[in-house]
Amino acid sequence: MSTRSPARLIVALGVAAVLAVFLLYTAVAGHSTPTLTPSQLANHSGQLAIVGVVVAPLRGDSHSAAGLRFGLKNIDGKSGVVPVVYHGENPPPLFKVGRNVVVSGSYAHHRLAADNVVTKCPSKYTATKPS
Amino acid sequence: MADLGRAALVVSLGLLVYALVGGSIAAVANRRRLAVSARNALFCAFGSTAIAATVLAVALVRHDFSFAYVAAHTNRTLSTPYALSAFWGGQEGSLLLWLLVLTGYGAFAVALNRTLLRDLTVWVVPVLAGIGTFFAFVLVAVASPFDTQTAPLDGAGLTPSLQNPYMVAHPPMLYLGYVGLAIPFAFAAGAMLSGRTDERWIVATRRWTLAAWMFLGFGQLLGAHWAYVEVGWGGYYAWDPVENAALMPWLAATAFLHSVMIQERKGMLKVWNMVLVALAFELSVFGTFLTRSGVVNSIHSFAKSPIGSWFLAFVVISSLFSLALILWRLPLLKARTKLESALSREAAFLYNNLLLVALCLTILWGVLFPILTQLVKGETRTIGRPYYDFFLRAFGLPLLLLMGIGPLIAWRKTSFRTLAKTLAWPGAVTIACGIALVAFGAGSSHPGLIAYTFSAFVLSTIVLELVRGTRATGSLVALVSRNRRRYGGYVVHAAIVLLAIGIAGSSAYSSSTTRKLSPGQSVTLSGYTLTLQDVVRRQVPNATETRAILGVKGRWNGTISSGDNQYVNPPEPSREVAVKTNWLRAEDLYVIADSVNLKAKTVYVKVLVKPLVNLIWVAGFVFVLGSLIALWPDAREQRRLVTRLAPARA
Repeated sequence: MSTRSPARLIVALGVAAVLAVFLLYTAVAGHSTPTLTPSQLANHSGQLAIVGVVVAPLRGDSHSAAGLRFGLKNIDGKSGVVPVVYHGENPPPLFKVGRNVVVSGSYAHHRLAADNVVTKCPSKYTATKPS
Repeated sequence: MADLGRAALVVSLGLLVYALVGGSIAAVANRRRLAVSARNALFCAFGSTAIAATVLAVALVRHDFSFAYVAAHTNRTLSTPYALSAFWGGQEGSLLLWLLVLTGYGAFAVALNRTLLRDLTVWVVPVLAGIGTFFAFVLVAVASPFDTQTAPLDGAGLTPSLQNPYMVAHPPMLYLGYVGLAIPFAFAAGAMLSGRTDERWIVATRRWTLAAWMFLGFGQLLGAHWAYVEVGWGGYYAWDPVENAALMPWLAATAFLHSVMIQERKGMLKVWNMVLVALAFELSVFGTFLTRSGVVNSIHSFAKSPIGSWFLAFVVISSLFSLALILWRLPLLKARTKLESALSREAAFLYNNLLLVALCLTILWGVLFPILTQLVKGETRTIGRPYYDFFLRAFGLPLLLLMGIGPLIAWRKTSFRTLAKTLAWPGAVTIACGIALVAFGAGSSHPGLIAYTFSAFVLSTIVLELVRGTRATGSLVALVSRNRRRYGGYVVHAAIVLLAIGIAGSSAYSSSTTRKLSPGQSVTLSGYTLTLQDVVRRQVPNATETRAILGVKGRWNGTISSGDNQYVNPPEPSREVAVKTNWLRAEDLYVIADSVNLKAKTVYVKVLVKPLVNLIWVAGFVFVLGSLIALWPDAREQRRLVTRLAPARA
């Protein structure tokens, strides 16, 4: 009878099982979303997220039929403005013009119909230095 | 003042470089006096870092805005505790706290073990000094908290959401955890460098690992509670990369804490333990890199920081160092015994380790996925909540089950028949609980139902163990005090069960609705009817408060108010949610009022009912209690250790 430890077998089977679950998930249910900057949006459409800075004008109400309307451009400022119409719950309190945000939704005809807005978490927020 | 802080940091850097270089030479050439000198340099580095930290703390309390850091993170309206909390509110202060805790922990750990483990500590000193050198260098050359400027009249202030007791405690707890993992890592590296790869390094660092793990776990729960009551979105964990950065090393350390028991008892899993301790430490530094670099888009971290590339280089170099050490010492890391059966306590620990590491690496994959897709495809893709939730269930639920089975299986080997006999009572309780839960409507969520029944199983096994042990010893107190490590572990297991029940209840069985209300109109959810009574605005010192006043009837009767605050200094808003805990039903009524229109007297009200969410916070205290029981000094254990380590000393 072999005296070989089953530890290696257990580890091998465990790793194989983990990989199988992982592959199954990524094959069947795994969804990833493109996260782009406004300057990377050319040739893209469908569900995606845009990372950018909020630009004026900021109009409307996210609960109304017309939605909350604003623009997004690259955080470094080197891009055109992407118009966004957001419907849903009120955006987070720190949402305002000039704030860095991630907005996700459906992008079509050079416009984002957004259903989620995330602003920078206040835990790492540093206010502008006073003059 | 700033000059004193800068000078103290430069001295720390010099001392740490000396401890690194001198300590390494002393260890290689076996020069005892040089080794003592290097050790003293490490102690002194703690002293000089403490001076630097005191300078910054005094500047924060005195509102000395000639320090750029103080002006950027505080203002004159801040009370002393919140002004002090700005110490870790920014990048430079956080790094100084890292160095202070590292040198403090390091000096203490080395001082405690300098006699008993002299052959190891001569190597531990240069390893700790190497880590400290990196942080001291970054503080001196890249991100100094002592940059000065012409003092403005007032500072920028601390964002209102951070002016919360939980946020005062959460970051230092995390740092005590992150940095604490450097101690077992340094001792593991010391063991490999010295060639003394027996169990002594594990015995010497067990409490350090446990303490770091406790701080890291409790710190995360404090952060989750802060997010729940302060950020106001109704949740407590968002699977954000920076949140995951704290969870990953905690999972790796959890696996390590379990697998070291196998090495201590059976002399197995030596390589695995070295890998785990290195993984836990590297993930803790990687977490700081993620938080501070801005390499991944996170709700916590957007801007690119100059220290990111330094941290990446440190993670890469220290990972390669760990890997090289393990490969070099593979011949010394052979197991003393073999796993005899796949149905034994050792095997259960191994399964537990595999699941914990799988969960940890799955989360790491999710965090790294955007970076990898950017590198491979040239386009960043992010993975959302469903991915993490899926793997939490896939690996977390079997882990929960193992937590119940593991302590009941015999060491070495057992048979299915014996195991079935042992599990008969807990199994019967579990089936009865499952049937009762389905009867009470918990079958609406299969993961929730499984989590509840598995939790019942684990709790019944813990109770069974306590009853058996108490019968044998005659008293529960005597039982726990005789084996604090084991029974402290059971209390921690109970905390994890409470956590699992809380997470399952608040996620699988929560309900919510959103409605626009005018005065007199109502919204009903899960037995609560909320009626808008009024919309008001009032001035308070430093803020304008806007509130929707809602009368509540049903499972709880009373009045609650929710809305927002607009602060004057700093001029920032904050969402103010209403949370009413119904302890009888163990659930929270959570109300978010937004878009308050004072003219039209209308408001959008989101109502959430979150069953059992408070068990998550209760779990935090039970977790700390269990950890403290396991940590508490034990004279019997100490005597055993002295006997065990004596031959090695001789």
